[in-house]
Amino acid sequence: MTQLILFNVFNGLIVGAFYALMALGLSLILNLSGVINFAHGGFLAIGGYIAFTLMPFIGFWGGLIVAPVLTAILGIVVERFLIRRLYGRDPLYSLLLTFGLAFIFEDGTRFIWGAQSLPFQVPGWLVTPLSTDYFFLTGYRLFMVLVVASAVIGLFVILGYTRLGIRIRAGTLDLETVSVLGVNVRVLRSMNFGLGVYLAGLAGVLAVGQLGLQPTIGSSLIMPSFVAIIVGGLGSLPGTLLGGLLIGVASGLTTVFFPSASEAVIYVMMAVVLLVRPRGLLGEEGRF
Amino acid sequence: MSKDLFSIPVKRRTLLEAGLAIGAMQIASPFVVKSLADEPVKIGLDNPLTGTYAAVGKNELIGCQLAIEQINAKGGILGRQAELLVEDSTSGDAGTAVEKARKLIDRDHINFLVGNVNSALALAMAGVSFEKGVLHIVPGGHTDAITGSSCHWNVFRVCNTTQMEANAISGTLIKDYGKKWYYITPDYSFGHTLQAGLEKAAAALGGIEVGGDLTPLGTTDFSSYLIKAQSTNPDVIIFLTQGDDMVNALKQAVQFGLDKKFHLAGAQQELEPLEGLPPEARIGTWVFEWYWKQPNVPHVAEFVEAVKKKSGRVPTARTWFGYVSTWTCALAANTAKSLEAVKMAKALQGFKLPPEIALMPDGAFYREGQNQLIPNLYVGNAQAQGSEPDDLFKVTNVVKGADVAGTLEDTGCKLTWPA
Repeated sequence: MTQLILFNVFNGLIVGAFYALMALGLSLILNLSGVINFAHGGFLAIGGYIAFTLMPFIGFWGGLIVAPVLTAILGIVVERFLIRRLYGRDPLYSLLLTFGLAFIFEDGTRFIWGAQSLPFQVPGWLVTPLSTDYFFLTGYRLFMVLVVASAVIGLFVILGYTRLGIRIRAGTLDLETVSVLGVNVRVLRSMNFGLGVYLAGLAGVLAVGQLGLQPTIGSSLIMPSFVAIIVGGLGSLPGTLLGGLLIGVASGLTTVFFPSASEAVIYVMMAVVLLVRPRGLLGEEGRF
Repeated sequence: MSKDLFSIPVKRRTLLEAGLAIGAMQIASPFVVKSLADEPVKIGLDNPLTGTYAAVGKNELIGCQLAIEQINAKGGILGRQAELLVEDSTSGDAGTAVEKARKLIDRDHINFLVGNVNSALALAMAGVSFEKGVLHIVPGGHTDAITGSSCHWNVFRVCNTTQMEANAISGTLIKDYGKKWYYITPDYSFGHTLQAGLEKAAAALGGIEVGGDLTPLGTTDFSSYLIKAQSTNPDVIIFLTQGDDMVNALKQAVQFGLDKKFHLAGAQQELEPLEGLPPEARIGTWVFEWYWKQPNVPHVAEFVEAVKKKSGRVPTARTWFGYVSTWTCALAANTAKSLEAVKMAKALQGFKLPPEIALMPDGAFYREGQNQLIPNLYVGNAQAQGSEPDDLFKVTNVVKGADVAGTLEDTGCKLTWPA
């Protein structure tokens, strides 16, 4: 029993790391632009589909590098022509827009690639278990954690040490002052949106390595990411990371004792956090 | 000259009267020129086109469309053209499915209702069709109740009951792979009845359930269930998930190397999920409800060619469900020589499908008193690659439906006919 619980804690951390990757992208966009990007799951799916389409030409590794970039470019185009028009209005407008976009993306992928799951194949040596005892540590899952870790470190380096990152962080705190100081806020928001969508695209390519590639893949993964943000705390990227890991572990542990509630438990966690500490575990007070 | 052209005096009243007359003609003309014989016979398909079941729903649609073309080419239904009206029921919203069924019946005046892939939606629609007295064919909702405890005189089902699938495979699994089973079951009516069916069938043969988990529909990560399953050290891990959940579960089980330690199997498998899996995850022992590669069965090759021509892909069991459902409508009317639902339902009691529709070695018939199609079932193993790209299943044993359907009393169905 102890072993089962221990396995599920470790496994939960792996699953949580993936949720965190998706949630970080959402959080970035929400923090700077105040846009609740419901289309994030749609971008994730598109990332996966682009990688699948490019795989015969550039292989899995090429797809892993190129697909998120192409997804980010699509994100910047969407931001430039649709979302930008709604800045400064009530967040409900952009929420409705991205909600609609999520449907368009889902049906768009269904129209282009078909409704049926597509066989996405990762290199053979990645899909074998690394140990017979700790068999849940498959090559692919370890690889996923490594990619997520490098993406998170990369993101924090960008935000902490580059001009773009410092401006994004400053803009998150006080966009008006940043604008007065001569920073082109429009470009800043576009780049930030692109960065968020890049993370969605990356999560998409990683996800289809172990899930079926189908049009609904985005909508089935988006809710845990929102929960991760709320549990971790709005406005805090480390909080989002923590939220993702926590819900992964909670979901894994619930499976040991009460499997049919493994999905519901994350919403229970969200409800408890909202009641006891509405700003989330590491969230800033009074931000939303 | 031009001035004359533009100054023809048309009184306002004349214009108004002309307009009225044209308007009246639009309304009146159907009654004047059209007789009933020109009115098409309408079949309403209320099935998922979006959501989790979109892929299988679309395959059923292709089967329906092919059947409509063939029916019309062969003289239609009672000499009238057949027409297919299609509505998206969604994959899981019973409210929408019921509303669309009411719309098809009340506004479009359909003669037949067809649907649904989702068992719960099929049951909800059956409530409406029963209330309205419309002949209803369920192509692909498997839960036992549809032709069991909740059966109706007007509701017929093409796909198997979950108990039939369970009975078909239990013997093979116990004999070849062992008695200790662990279940991974989707947490809704289909999964519950399928697991109950397997437990019943296995218990009779000495099978033991070492554990099981109910997984929420739409589960993406199965790792924690798989960790639990392997800790109980079963002989066979039984996967009862379907569609996208099946793809996710099998893909992850193989990545965990569970296929090297235990036998992976289940009751129902379909071509759609196998096509969505990478080759190394196309494994396990399963029941197929229909398979496209049956070299010794007449008419199957023609059917496969016709579907390939239409959709570019081989037919799946779902395509066959849609095809049989639609053909059943035409056969019922043409046999009863009537479009009255009661007469048609009576004509279908014990009705044997013609071989070019049944497309199975032993044929298929609707069991009298239950309205359940009794077909062949195909037990076999998934394979990474067959002789052709879509040949992903190797049939080892063709089971006769009558041998696994149980008795009429077992099903719990009691048909009550209208006075």
